[in-house]
Amino acid sequence: MQIIKSFFISLLLLIPFTKSYASSLKDTMSFGFDTYSDSGNVEVYSPTFSLMKALSNEFLLGFKVRIDSITAASIKKLAAPTAPVATTAAASGGGENEGPDDVRFSPTFFATYDNGADSLTGGFYVSTEKDYQGKSVFTNYVRQLNQDNTALGVGISQSFDNWEPAIPLTMSRKDRKESKVDLSINQLITPQLSIQLVYSYLYSEGFLPSPYNYLVIGGTNVYEKYPETRTGDAFAIKGVALIDESNSINLSYRYYKDNWNIASHTINTEWLSDITKNITIGLRGRYYTQTKANFTKPLGTALATDAYIVSDYRASAFDSFDIGVPFVYKPSSASNIKFSASIDYYQTTSNEYIKNWYNTDSLKAIYTTLRIDYDF
Amino acid sequence: MKYILLISMLLFAGCSEKLVRVQAYEKEYFAQDKMKFNPLDQRTEMENHVFLIREASAGGDSAFQGGCGCR
Repeated sequence: MQIIKSFFISLLLLIPFTKSYASSLKDTMSFGFDTYSDSGNVEVYSPTFSLMKALSNEFLLGFKVRIDSITAASIKKLAAPTAPVATTAAASGGGENEGPDDVRFSPTFFATYDNGADSLTGGFYVSTEKDYQGKSVFTNYVRQLNQDNTALGVGISQSFDNWEPAIPLTMSRKDRKESKVDLSINQLITPQLSIQLVYSYLYSEGFLPSPYNYLVIGGTNVYEKYPETRTGDAFAIKGVALIDESNSINLSYRYYKDNWNIASHTINTEWLSDITKNITIGLRGRYYTQTKANFTKPLGTALATDAYIVSDYRASAFDSFDIGVPFVYKPSSASNIKFSASIDYYQTTSNEYIKNWYNTDSLKAIYTTLRIDYDF
Repeated sequence: MKYILLISMLLFAGCSEKLVRVQAYEKEYFAQDKMKFNPLDQRTEMENHVFLIREASAGGDSAFQGGCGCR
């Protein structure tokens, strides 16, 4: 549905690439709980669970699941699709009905082979929600070189998704396929410094806007129309350096460009400090800026006969920033339990598209994470 | 893209002795959470999805993401 209705279907699998420097496979279990809340009256509560079982020194099976309980004004707004902007009633979050508007169940299964020098992971992911079905396959390969000073990674994923709108809508097609190829190089520079270069190729095909987003033109709802293909490239460079025994700093920059003419720059920095032998805390900041798509017109100038119709602010130019505080606690250096948590504040700049759809000048969000890892 | 492929070829071709810059006994810091590119996996999953649904860009994270109706 709207931008946020289909929140949190996807997940990241970091396993192959975070194992950039050789490590043995081990049995692990984790429990997590995430929250998200924003000024667009979206609330998401997400318990997570993962289990990884080493079958031998070289084989590991993994299972992850995430359940998202979503409450969103944009879902309720579907009940009154002629409203040009989010109304006060629609934006009230809870509305007349108790409980979440949607609950998504999204499991992932994967297997890893790791002999110390080579690590190969493959798996699949499915998700179900009221109006969107997602299915993906993925594989990652990491090769250790130069006495584990260098790690080369290749990751490929392909999704085969389908829209199943909850209300009758005219859609040119209901499928969406997304392909992603990642190439990465990790290199240790000194015992206190490592860098990573990443290139990503992204290709999307199918019905790419939300089927629920619309503009009111001449008193009529005109639903979004986007090109049916999109190709993007992203380049990132990251570095992490030890400042002293207790402090480190993490820096990264990403440049993104696609054939819709959207270009973006992202910088992220994080400082982490061991304030005791058991506790690590930090502070991070992120800044993002993007240009508009080449088919996005100033709000109020679109015609119903235009080839493309844009209502979603993400196809317009805007900036955002994020500040956050991470926290990690280990009872002891030899402990097999680890607690981690974080809280972040995210805000976009003012934008006429955000104002039109959400009835607020900018989007402001707070999201938190909590996780307990247990090695057994 | 070309540069990444070129660097990869050089590395695979064995022209990389100078890339052995850290000995095994010097790697203790890289085992610490604060020296990871993603020190909190749970937050990384969460934030990448927040940015993915709130912004038009993606990629550069060297990790798989499943398809989703939020974009």
